[in-house]
Amino acid sequence: MAYLSINTFTECICFLAAFVFLRKDKSPAWKIFIPFLLLTCATELGGIYMRHHLRVNNYPIYNIYLLFECGFTSFFFFYLYRPYHYPVKWLITWYTAFLALYLGELIHINFSGFVSVTASVMSVVFVLASLYYYYLKLKDERFEPLLYSASFWWVSGALFFYFGSTACNNFLDYLAKYESITYNNSIRYIIFNVLDIIMYTFWSYAFICRYRQRK
Amino acid sequence: MQISTKEVISLIGLTSVIFLIAPMFLILYVLSYNRRKKQHRDDTILMQKNFETELLKTQMEVQEQTLKTVAYDLHDNIGQLLSLTTITLSSVDVTDTKNTAEKLALVEDLTMRSIKEVKALSRLLHGEEIVSRGLASAINFELEWLRRSDKFEVVFNYDHDLSQLDNAKETILFRLFQEIINNIIQHARATAIHINLNQVNGACILEITDNGTGFNVEEALSRKSGMGLHNMVKRSAMINGTASIRSTPGKGSTITIQIPNL
Repeated sequence: MAYLSINTFTECICFLAAFVFLRKDKSPAWKIFIPFLLLTCATELGGIYMRHHLRVNNYPIYNIYLLFECGFTSFFFFYLYRPYHYPVKWLITWYTAFLALYLGELIHINFSGFVSVTASVMSVVFVLASLYYYYLKLKDERFEPLLYSASFWWVSGALFFYFGSTACNNFLDYLAKYESITYNNSIRYIIFNVLDIIMYTFWSYAFICRYRQRK
Repeated sequence: MQISTKEVISLIGLTSVIFLIAPMFLILYVLSYNRRKKQHRDDTILMQKNFETELLKTQMEVQEQTLKTVAYDLHDNIGQLLSLTTITLSSVDVTDTKNTAEKLALVEDLTMRSIKEVKALSRLLHGEEIVSRGLASAINFELEWLRRSDKFEVVFNYDHDLSQLDNAKETILFRLFQEIINNIIQHARATAIHINLNQVNGACILEITDNGTGFNVEEALSRKSGMGLHNMVKRSAMINGTASIRSTPGKGSTITIQIPNL
């Protein structure tokens, strides 16, 4: 039963939505959601397995996942900015800065914990990326029905998740210290459950919009 | 003062809730702005459609006016010339050589005049071409017919180096001119019409003055029909212009139409 939590359930539902609605999508950027969400589910289940069965810390699996999360999400934001002639050099600069920070923090903590500072910086960058997307949409003179826009709902989901998790990320060490014993009833657990539900619901809706758009 | 762990955790929870509410309002704002964008787009399309409809109507009115002029000319001018030709021909007595020669010369003259009139009419029938030759030229052409009636003293002054407006604007301005002249003919009982077409600070100004009976502008505008004055104001505004109507009963009227950014 440990494998069935709100997190794993919403992630699996979102993966199924991606598989059903994006399977035949012509855009590779959207299609990559299927392996990415599969990886997310696998990471989550792997994390639970490590914690409950192997009785070891599961941060290494999340540290590796963070690389994929940053790589894919950044690439997808870049894909959304492409119609507005966003230069690729910014994406490469961000990837370089992220890798430098990630490796620096890993070395700093002796590979023995979660790279929380890198995760916090990544969240802030994604919040800014979401806001920049809104700015581009507001500035664009062409009208687009945003209520049925797949990219708009994907960005909104990402904004909710990364903005909402800012407080938790900033106090991650503090919370980990005081809540490690009772994680399942902790504030961190509740907040991340709520954020997961919001983000994956928005993303699932985005996949439906994308499917309808394609039809 | 020391803050307890419980208080810190509550504070983190509260901050997270606030951090969740903020994006919600942001999304609502973006959606509402987008709705306004849609409204603006719909309004622009509607305005464009209205402009196109009004332009089409104007073009049809110009054609209608041309056909009216053709009908009057056929009836009053060419018809009379041809009737006179028939009468002259029927009165020819082939035995009276001297008179016959004179009558045939008259018939020839009448026929030549008829041909000239028909040629002029043929030119007029190409109504759209008139406007494409430029506004001043179109106005001149229209006034030619007015001058021939000998009922009015017509003076037309214009800038010879007047820049050309775009086709739609010229058609509408020309139709406004036709409407004003029609009003003068039908209602003003004027004897003189002065027309000025100038370019001042990039704006095209068409001013038409008559010495007719004049009218009370406010009263005319308050009436529903308003002698087409409402239509003039509306159509001027449609091409970003203004129509100013000044009139004093007994002293004639002046109508000025100004179209900016020539």
